[in-house]
Amino acid sequence: MKLLSTRTALVLIYSLLLVLGLVAFTVKYFNNASAWVQYPTNRHLYANGKLHSSGTIYDCSGSILMQMVDGTTEFNKDKTVRTAVMHATGDVNSNVATGAQAVFRDRLTGWDIINGAYRFNNKLSSRSDLTLTLDADLCATAYKELDGRRGTVGVYNYKTGEILCMVSTPSFDPENPPDVEANPEKYEGVYINRLFSSAYTPGSVFKLATAAAAIDHLNNVENNLYHCDGKLQIGGDMVTCPSAHGEVTIEQALANSCNTAFAQITLDLGADRLQKYADLAGFNSRLEVDGIKTAIGKVNVADVEGADLAWAGIGQYTNTANPLNFMAYMGAIANDGVRITPRILADQGIFSFITTSVEKKRVLSAETAEKLGKMMRNNTISTYGEGNFRGLELCAKTGTAEVGGGKQPHAWFAGYLDREDFPLAFVVIIENGGSGSRAAAPVAAKVLQAAVR
Amino acid sequence: MNDFLEIMKQLLEGYLTKFTDIFVNMENFPAPLEVASELYTLVVRWVFPILAAAIFLRCILPLLQNGKEKAVWGYLCMTDGTRTPLKNWENLIGRSKFSDIVINLPFVSRSHAVLTFHNGVWSIADLGSKGGVKVNGRKIEKQEIVDYGDTLSLSGVEMALAPADAEPPKGLLQKNDTVSTPPSGRHIRTGATLFLILIFLILGSIQICFSMGTQVNPAVPLTLLIFILAMCLHYIFMRWFSRKYFELELLCYFLCGLNLLIVASAAPNSLYKQLAAILTGIVVYTVIKMIIGNLGRAHKLKYFLMASALVLMILNLALGETYFGAKRWINLGFITFQPMEFVKIAFVLAGAATLDRLLTTRNMTAFIAFSGACIGTLVLIRDFGTAVVIFGTFIVIAFMQSGDLRTIALVTAGAVFGSTAVVSFMPYIASRFAAWGNVWDLANTSGYQQTRTMIAAASGGLLGVGGGNGYFKYIPAADTDLVFGMLSEEWGLLVALTVVLTIVFIAVYAVFLTKNSRSSFYAIAACGAASIFLIQTALNVLGSVDILPLTGITIPFVSNGGSSMIASWGLLALIKSADGRIRPE
Ligand SMILES: [Zn+2]
Repeated sequence: MKLLSTRTALVLIYSLLLVLGLVAFTVKYFNNASAWVQYPTNRHLYANGKLHSSGTIYDCSGSILMQMVDGTTEFNKDKTVRTAVMHATGDVNSNVATGAQAVFRDRLTGWDIINGAYRFNNKLSSRSDLTLTLDADLCATAYKELDGRRGTVGVYNYKTGEILCMVSTPSFDPENPPDVEANPEKYEGVYINRLFSSAYTPGSVFKLATAAAAIDHLNNVENNLYHCDGKLQIGGDMVTCPSAHGEVTIEQALANSCNTAFAQITLDLGADRLQKYADLAGFNSRLEVDGIKTAIGKVNVADVEGADLAWAGIGQYTNTANPLNFMAYMGAIANDGVRITPRILADQGIFSFITTSVEKKRVLSAETAEKLGKMMRNNTISTYGEGNFRGLELCAKTGTAEVGGGKQPHAWFAGYLDREDFPLAFVVIIENGGSGSRAAAPVAAKVLQAAVR
Repeated sequence: MNDFLEIMKQLLEGYLTKFTDIFVNMENFPAPLEVASELYTLVVRWVFPILAAAIFLRCILPLLQNGKEKAVWGYLCMTDGTRTPLKNWENLIGRSKFSDIVINLPFVSRSHAVLTFHNGVWSIADLGSKGGVKVNGRKIEKQEIVDYGDTLSLSGVEMALAPADAEPPKGLLQKNDTVSTPPSGRHIRTGATLFLILIFLILGSIQICFSMGTQVNPAVPLTLLIFILAMCLHYIFMRWFSRKYFELELLCYFLCGLNLLIVASAAPNSLYKQLAAILTGIVVYTVIKMIIGNLGRAHKLKYFLMASALVLMILNLALGETYFGAKRWINLGFITFQPMEFVKIAFVLAGAATLDRLLTTRNMTAFIAFSGACIGTLVLIRDFGTAVVIFGTFIVIAFMQSGDLRTIALVTAGAVFGSTAVVSFMPYIASRFAAWGNVWDLANTSGYQQTRTMIAAASGGLLGVGGGNGYFKYIPAADTDLVFGMLSEEWGLLVALTVVLTIVFIAVYAVFLTKNSRSSFYAIAACGAASIFLIQTALNVLGSVDILPLTGITIPFVSNGGSSMIASWGLLALIKSADGRIRPE
């Protein structure tokens, strides 16, 4: 029988192939089952193509943001609130890809990999409810302050990662969805959550990345003086500055947003260092907010030199920034150089102390972060006016990002509060809003005053 | 580690919340029956995967342990005084290391002779060796009967045949003699395993009854009860009359029990029919096993079944009725059946042959012709799934017969080429291939069945929604071609995976048996049957979840269908007859 038993290998190969196929299916199952189960013909979850029940979405203080009553989706009672958090919850038709209702649908419908769509007594357990980290009233304040302008406001706790405010405009009342197609101008990109999914030219706020590189790599940079006469000739090209600032230190250059000085600093640093610090600041990579992937802000200066490099160092050229990513960089500066990834889900469950690990990454040395922070504090005191931000201990930077095409620049205001009781970092962007200090800073002031109240 | 914690967390949380929910929702209960039903499902859905895993492990462990050394049929006494036990009915003698009795002398051929023990008579066949074979000094032509005490001479190497029960002469060196080694490891009692299967079936049938609410179909408890009785009787019968292991049968009971639970949920009206098929299957199994135990009768059975198979195929071509695009049914008025299911048994037997025939005639023409007839019929009746099963098994058997890898590779290449041509001409199969890999884009047309299976599997999670509580059963073919989806939805992915692994194990075990099987007839039959099980399961499971193209085919023992069930038991008899091992007392 020895002869024949050597010839049985084919049966073993068939067995192996079947087992491999089974493993392939199991892997596919673990990756995709949460999506398969959502298919609208699944009678465990849907009746006539409509979900028959769903968990409730709450904000951090327990107000209902979205719930399902007898098969109909209902939102917050207050129209401003539900409009402000529309991108966070999602609309009825799941047009907002990053909305909680779409992203966490498996959990809202009570599905999990162990129990499947099984429901005890045909009722959703309380585990299918979601609590978001958002503060609904703060979102409403931000929405009102944006006052019809397109843009986004984000505020998060840089020690815990909780996002308190997330507003993207234009938005709409999810209980009365408008005819978006009939009004393309007004509702441009209305289904996009700009905080997560957009990338804007950063303008001067990018100087915070350049400044970090300068602190680490240029000798005695704090005491160097840079000369500004309103413009700087580099080869055949010109870098211009809003005004002639004369002799400035890097601190003054940041406060006055002096392009000439930062152009010189960038050229002293060189492309490689600028690239490295841009990458550290979160450019060219995405963050994951409880599984929601952000858009990527791009900085690519690997083979760039001269005036283009100088423009890149002051946030123009081809640079783009994702608002949430940049807000997380502000948080990193505030948090001694350690970036805590923002998150949106408040309830990680009662056993969260085991599994919830805050995702951390050191992006700057503590020393560099402190020096940068002092310069940002100085910006407020010497330029933006402490009186406009009373009590906030605000450290910030404005940005006025030229977008060309005869359009107004994007207005940026980003920074953080240096307060133990309110460790908040923020970003405000107003599309084509003009000057950062005139358009974006007042919005930030109102929202932050509301946040610390 | 994180995954593990995540799962633990979900478990604990799920239970705590459910526990609190019970009290919150208590007043909302409409009827006490529903309370009982809901609470019952809540608990037993955790019990089923645990029971399934326990049954599976308890059955496979003893089969993997070394049982008692099997019987010795005689001894070869060499001139140097050593005695070699003859443990098979067919013993290849030669210089090659694949011989059962290796004589490493240069003038002995690689495969010199086969010493065969059939029906109590020993005979020796010369495999065309250079040095020739002599019995009692006389050179033999082809085959010659050998008596105890006769002297054999292979190229001058002399040896004598001695009976098995002869006391070894004192003072002589013993080599490889029978030693009964006590089974290693803990003894696993089959009675307890049977009890676990019983618990699974009872809990399962109660679950199905609960799912029917107030309209319980009496067929459900009744058929399950009869099946359990039959199972216990068969078990007692085997305990008394057989000294073989019977874990293999236990695994098949388990699969048949699941089959009844699936049918009870999807098509309670066919329960009696399915029960009758299982009982017939067990009878067929017992009868085939008894006939095949004697090689002479086995050969008669082989030719009888081959002739019947040819008749069945002609009948199928002439009278076949078409359902779901394949003409695979015959309706005799009082009964409908699928003839090609039974042809499978004949096909495997057609390929089985004893070692002396394999090595002397080297003629596969009859088998190839028979395989061609089977595959031809299957293509004509458009049952392409079964055609693939038969072809895959043909490769296994042909390789076992000839050992010729190159020819097999050529045949496979030719078949793949040919079937590609066929596929491109037949729009029916071509559309199946078109859906393969992108079923979600064709979710409501040619990807309908696959997507629904995956949705069902996802809805079940690891534990299932409870027997009878699924919606997948309303999809056509849910309990046959797509039964994997129904298993995962109602009984959970863990149980469904255990079922597939059980079939994989049965096949691997068949391979394991060939080492010790008495005759190559049994070895080939067992491997042939095993590959039919494997290919069917692979096409069914992997086809329904879009890893392979979908072909309408059943999982042995598990899918609803009488012919398939009886044929599965018949094939199991072929695997079982290769099992020569004796269970420890
Ligand atoms: Zn200047």
